[in-house]
Amino acid sequence: MTGWRWFWRLASFVVGVGFIYGWQMIADAKLISPVFLPGPDRAWAALLRGFHSGILEPKLVGTVQRMIIGWLLASLLGIALGTMIGVSPRARKIFGPTLEFLRPLPSSAIIPLAIALFGLSEGMVLGVIGFGALWPMLLSTVHGFGAVEPRLYEVSRALGMSKLSVIWKIALPSSMPDILAGMRLGLTVSLILAVVGEMLTGRDGLGNWILLAARSFRAPDLYAGVILLGLLGYVSAQALAWVESRLLRWRAVAR
Amino acid sequence: MPQAFAPEQTTTPSAPGGAAPLIAFHDVCLTIAGNEILRDISFEISRGEFVCVVGPSGCGKTTTLRLISGLMHPSSGQVTFEGRPVTGPRQDVAIMFQDYGRALLPWRTAAGNVSLALESLGVPRSERADRIQDLLVKVGLKGQDKRFPNQLSGGMQQRLQIARCLAQNPSVLLMDEPFGALDAMTRQALQDEVLSIVAATGATVFFVTHDLEEAVYLGDRVIGLLPHPGRVAKTVSVDLPRPRDQLSSRETPQFLHLRRELFDFIKEAEA
Ligand SMILES: Nc1ncnc2c1ncn2[C@@H]1O[C@H](COP(=O)(O)OP(=O)(O)OP(=O)(O)O)[C@@H](O)[C@H]1O
Ligand SMILES: [Mg+2]
Repeated sequence: MTGWRWFWRLASFVVGVGFIYGWQMIADAKLISPVFLPGPDRAWAALLRGFHSGILEPKLVGTVQRMIIGWLLASLLGIALGTMIGVSPRARKIFGPTLEFLRPLPSSAIIPLAIALFGLSEGMVLGVIGFGALWPMLLSTVHGFGAVEPRLYEVSRALGMSKLSVIWKIALPSSMPDILAGMRLGLTVSLILAVVGEMLTGRDGLGNWILLAARSFRAPDLYAGVILLGLLGYVSAQALAWVESRLLRWRAVAR
Repeated sequence: MPQAFAPEQTTTPSAPGGAAPLIAFHDVCLTIAGNEILRDISFEISRGEFVCVVGPSGCGKTTTLRLISGLMHPSSGQVTFEGRPVTGPRQDVAIMFQDYGRALLPWRTAAGNVSLALESLGVPRSERADRIQDLLVKVGLKGQDKRFPNQLSGGMQQRLQIARCLAQNPSVLLMDEPFGALDAMTRQALQDEVLSIVAATGATVFFVTHDLEEAVYLGDRVIGLLPHPGRVAKTVSVDLPRPRDQLSSRETPQFLHLRRELFDFIKEAEA
């Protein structure tokens, strides 16, 4: 078992190194103009330079803050609304179709509307992130509540549990796998919308930094920003996966 | 159906001896979506009695149990508990479900599952840990408290369900084929556990089973149901002395006779 795990870890490492090496080769061979494609060496140097000069750090912090605040907002709201709809089979039937209609709407489509309503403010960016990331959380909570083992509701009745403790002790934990899957999706959406929001509003962050770098042909800076975004996405997903593995320990345990 | 008028049957409202019945069915009928599931069920259970129910699959054993529990209600007629109509589940009536794998919370450990019942009863946190340990020891799950249900065998999960039921301190135990899926050894051990618990607490038991020998071994009385629609077709009293013993009780002539009687009944039902 552990032997295979190490093998796959090694394999993914080799692929990563291979990718960077290939990128370097293409850049060195100047197959694509260096104005558009710097090698990883130059991108890395630009990244370090950005941090040394203290320019990049506040931008990273800005983006991370936006992403996390918007995501938390969406999570709280999504789980709360999802719970309210989810507890009642009737509400699930009434709201279900509308939710399914609203869900596939790309949240970037509401950005013009949000700008008209809130202007190019921080609140508008957070609003758009919150709105976009809300759906996966809301829908997965509603779905999770719908999938609770009916027998457990009977157990709760037999034990004379209150409505609130049924939600807290049975419905929510039972929906936790769905909710966490929704939160994972929501996190990705949050990062995307944070970057798009920054690009559109010009608020200080990695999105804006990438946009400005592209406009002024600072390709290494642009790539440095992209690398940072990639890392950010990776680290946040790993962190959530860790939380998930702790919360869902009961599923993983073997006989 | 001549069996319906078997001489042993006592469906008169006032039981002999004058003691009011704990649970009583009065001409209970149940129809769901046009399907007649139970017809004119009438019987009584006295306090402290151990009543077993047998009958072919689909004859309404689980449904009858659910009517007592208050999870379901009759279409006509009445189910009463201490003389009053049953309106819903009660905390002093514990239900042991047929499908134990679904009736436990998979995200709670063994201790956590027992705790659920104590929490619902409002037992203060400080007292819970000791009571949980006592209950787990009582059902033979000592040292398993930190394991999740999917880490326990079927028999252990069933023991855990017993522990959760006992945590309710029930005056009535409703058990739906609790040992159906277990091997013979585990089954006999759990049968004796239930008997000793009942002897110690004086609980009233309504016990559904497929196993005729189990019904005779455990019960004071065995009720036989027939399907299409579900109805009471036979009642036999079991006058084997208690405490019962897996070997000697099962070898007595009464035991063999009762087993034969029920066996003929089921064979006739399935013919
Ligand atoms: N909610 C329901 N809706 C419709 N029909 C039902 C419902 N519950 C039970 N039935 C029907 O009622 C009949 C009796 O079911 P029940 O589960 O009580 O049988 P049982 O004696 O417990 O059977 P088994 O031994 O297989 O557990 C069956 O024919 C079943 O299909
Ligand atoms: Mg059944």
